Amino acid sequence: MSAPSKRRVPLLLGSGKSKAVSRAGDKKAVLNLTSMIDMFTILVVFLLMSYSAEGALVTVSDALTLPKAHSELGIQMKLEILVNNQVIVVDGDPVVAVDAGILSTGGAIPALVTRLKDHMEYARIVRGTITEEEMKINIQGDQGIPAILLQRVMASCSEAGFMSQNLAVIKVEGTGEEE
Amino acid sequence: MAKAASGRSRRIRHESELDMLPVMNLFCCIIPFLLLSASFLEITVIGMSGTEGVSSGGAGATANLMRSEEDRLQPKIIITEEEMFIGTAAGTVHVSYSFQEQRDTNDDGVYDVQVTNFHWDSLATKVEEAHKILSEAYPQITFRKIVILTVEETRYESIIKAIDIAAVAGFDQPGLQVAPSASVASAMGSPR
Repeated sequence: MSAPSKRRVPLLLGSGKSKAVSRAGDKKAVLNLTSMIDMFTILVVFLLMSYSAEGALVTVSDALTLPKAHSELGIQMKLEILVNNQVIVVDGDPVVAVDAGILSTGGAIPALVTRLKDHMEYARIVRGTITEEEMKINIQGDQGIPAILLQRVMASCSEAGFMSQNLAVIKVEGTGEEE
Repeated sequence: MAKAASGRSRRIRHESELDMLPVMNLFCCIIPFLLLSASFLEITVIGMSGTEGVSSGGAGATANLMRSEEDRLQPKIIITEEEMFIGTAAGTVHVSYSFQEQRDTNDDGVYDVQVTNFHWDSLATKVEEAHKILSEAYPQITFRKIVILTVEETRYESIIKAIDIAAVAGFDQPGLQVAPSASVASAMGSPR
């Protein structure tokens, strides 16, 4: 009678253990984390470099695309006007619908002036006085709006007492050769 | 100590393993935090000098420029639908003709918008020249003001581009004047 051979029984037929497990015995499987740690380290360094302690002071609406410029003047938390080809929004509320009538003539827009004056008056009541800081306003304009609309918005701001108007842009790095 | 026949001591070498688990835990906390607080778009602002709307007659555009010597000398970038100029006290110089550019606004491979654009490199050169000429001719004046005089249809993007180029050249106090095409032509002194 011959001794049983050491030929392995196929996995599907029976032993329930894979080849690797059978060979490893009781050894613990160790996951090699080196490459993952490398990746995480790179990611952390990159994110730390782009980290801004100031956070985002403004939220750019999806309804508009800001133009790009090299300006380094930081944005401050002020009253915001959003302007695109459909609507003018003040502090989150749509105030004026942009139509052919708005674009046909120049000068301040009465409805916008009224709304901005209300804001100015509210600030005056709450704080007792109007400082130079209160007279600043941020204008976020879509890059496709016509000049006449921008001029009308800026004229409205001036008439309402917001003498310092800042145009929000997306900062681009470099020396301006990328156009 | 037990010694082998060769005389060397039998030291069993253990490979030291660094426990990476705390590092991984730290990374797992720090990466979501940094991802949430990361700002990939930096928003800045361009401070504008008081805007001056121009009446249909175009008189207001030039009247306010006479306030002072600096105001009188301040250059203007004039943007019309067809052409761009730079105007100084010495005269008006052609900068660039406009051209039509097709744009894919939705990134879907379809050029759905046609916009008027200019050769901005030419403007950069001319504005730098203007700043140099003015600074050399009038060393007592620091030239920082510039006016963008444009027609009603000009895209906001073009205005910002002109302001940006002027700021790089040293004119970092921009003002905006918007006028009908006829008024701009009359302000330039060239009938169109």
